[in-house]
Amino acid sequence: MFRIIKKSLKTGVVTGQHPEAAPAAQPVPADAKATTKPFRRSLAIREVDTGSCNACEMEMNALMNPVYDGERFGLHVAASPRHADALVVTGPVTVNMERALKDVYKATPDPKIVIALGDCAITCGQFKGSYAVTGPVERHIPVDVRIPGCPPRPAEILAALEDLRERLGKPAG
Amino acid sequence: MTPSEILQDTFGKAIISASVVHGFPVFVLDKETLPLVAHFVHTHPDLRGSLSLLWAVDHRPREARYELCYLFTLAARKDWLLLRSDLHGDDRLFRSITPHIHAAKWYEREVRDLFGLIAQGHPDLRRLVRHEHWPKGTHPLKKDFSWDTVMGRQEGQYAFRRIEGEGVFEVPVGPIHAGIIEPGHFRFSVAGEPIMQLELHHFWKHRGVEKLFERRRLTDAMPLAERVSGDTTIGHSLAYCQAVETLLGVDVPRRAKYLRSLFLELERLHNHLGDVGAICNDTAYALAHAHCSRMKERIMQLNDRLTGSRFLRGVNLVGGVGCNLAAGQLAEIAEEAAAIERDFSELEAIIFANASLTDRLEATGILKERTAWDHAVMGVVGRASGIDRDLRRDHPFAAYDELPVKVALYRYGDVRARLRVRMDEIHESMRLIREIRARIPQGAIMAEPSRVPAAGEWALSAVEGWRGEILYMVMAGEEGRIHRCKVRDPSFVNWPAIQWAVLGNIIPDFPLINKSFNLSYAGNDL
Ligand code: SF4
Repeated sequence: MFRIIKKSLKTGVVTGQHPEAAPAAQPVPADAKATTKPFRRSLAIREVDTGSCNACEMEMNALMNPVYDGERFGLHVAASPRHADALVVTGPVTVNMERALKDVYKATPDPKIVIALGDCAITCGQFKGSYAVTGPVERHIPVDVRIPGCPPRPAEILAALEDLRERLGKPAG
Repeated sequence: MTPSEILQDTFGKAIISASVVHGFPVFVLDKETLPLVAHFVHTHPDLRGSLSLLWAVDHRPREARYELCYLFTLAARKDWLLLRSDLHGDDRLFRSITPHIHAAKWYEREVRDLFGLIAQGHPDLRRLVRHEHWPKGTHPLKKDFSWDTVMGRQEGQYAFRRIEGEGVFEVPVGPIHAGIIEPGHFRFSVAGEPIMQLELHHFWKHRGVEKLFERRRLTDAMPLAERVSGDTTIGHSLAYCQAVETLLGVDVPRRAKYLRSLFLELERLHNHLGDVGAICNDTAYALAHAHCSRMKERIMQLNDRLTGSRFLRGVNLVGGVGCNLAAGQLAEIAEEAAAIERDFSELEAIIFANASLTDRLEATGILKERTAWDHAVMGVVGRASGIDRDLRRDHPFAAYDELPVKVALYRYGDVRARLRVRMDEIHESMRLIREIRARIPQGAIMAEPSRVPAAGEWALSAVEGWRGEILYMVMAGEEGRIHRCKVRDPSFVNWPAIQWAVLGNIIPDFPLINKSFNLSYAGNDL
């Protein structure tokens, strides 16, 4: 017990110790911001991987680590699409995942936001045209927000989500 | 006797040709004798070959021929030995070696799906890569299948193995899971709490990577190799580079080799740190998870400062590395590594002082040494089950010929052993980083190709990534193109073994066991 407390005291607070996000390459559209109004204080996210290389997943995971601590901005990862306000989709949509993606979309209650995360989800990236890929996310379900990058850094994802909820530059809480 | 002499002695007449390619023996056999020889290599006490890779090549349009290659790693000196047989003309049948060599099971199913070649006598010829909705006759790696074919859809259901009886339930999980992880399907059969059977149904993320390679030139496929499995960017790009460098006759400068080792260790560090935390987290010990992900983040930020990419993308290039490090940067790495190692050692003490945590880890998800050997399991999972293999020591690549590696080895094969292997490797990587800093020579970081490979020439390369052995077989085509690129992430081999490790455990322990394997879906599905 003593050891644990000592460790915590020695470590101190690491939250926010990361480089600033670069300015967003694709601005968040105004109508997406309007749809997100009800979720300004708390946004439950369901992450759906439709064929990514898993680096985008790792950055989504990093979003919840003590350094970025998405929870302090009211971001949660929901275990089921039925509990989600937003779907974050990564990767090009493979022929094998196409049905699953559409099912998840249907299972998510309205109003909902779809965020395409990473170049693959937006344009299919390196996998464009392959027989096993059926196209970017927007070919199958409507996409509201695009966060480009391969992969986008966690700070950039965080900034985009803050911008979406019109909280940029506002104090936490 | 050398392995070649043993084979010559026993099968003399049946061997069509024997040669040595890139330093290891290659035997060409006819398709009827190959299974016998494979069985012999697998069981002979002086050879004890474990199947490392099985791949097929379609040689059209140059020749109407398919070849099947079986790469064995011999137990004694970890040498390689390759057996090959050809199918001419319209011949689509070959004999399965799976009845004797369990590790061939998924490979032969894969060959059938991607090439339409059928392994006769294979005990399980269900589809593997192709999901049931792919139209009949779709075999994407055949040369007459166009890379951008738009596939139709047919109806069909995967036939899971069923266990029936009173009180037996089936629990389907996936493809979309509760956490932020990749898609895969797990089908459990349980009676009460214990798992009686687990069957995997993967390949949801199949993106056609191997076919996409065939559209590229040898020198410009790097972005693709880096994206086979994002968490292993360096491992995959390095394995690809080395194969291509063999083909192009590039003599990579020593400094570049040291830098490659350095980046490979950084990649190992951030992944292992993440895994240690995630294993603790799956026993609901969030404190260790928070500390570990903080340390992992530190390394990723370091990567970003050094190379401009948190995943070290764009670092490896054919011929060397694209990013030189100044003495100040090397000092920065050493300093960070030392600080994180101190930090991590304190955390280790906290983890092992927690009895309720270690209790969850011990005797959970045991993979026996024999099972591991039968499935040719390697990497972290293998070393936790007594399989003493590490390419950094056995087949030194990059700068490891000058950097002796102490291989972590445990025998119990439970979650705790897999955790211990990772912890030991974290310390070993820290030591290697110090060593690299002390020994790294000055000089160039890029070299130029010295030759053009003829069509049909091939090279094999192996890298010990953080998960295990990454193998690439690259075959040159016309005018510097790629004719075939076989990619093998360790996940492809280790996934089937998890079906055995979970038996008798309860479903709530499955996430923990799965995390302790931590295999890639992307690298497996390709
Ligand atoms: S965008 Fe890049 S990092 Fe993300 S899944 Fe695609 S290849 Fe991987």
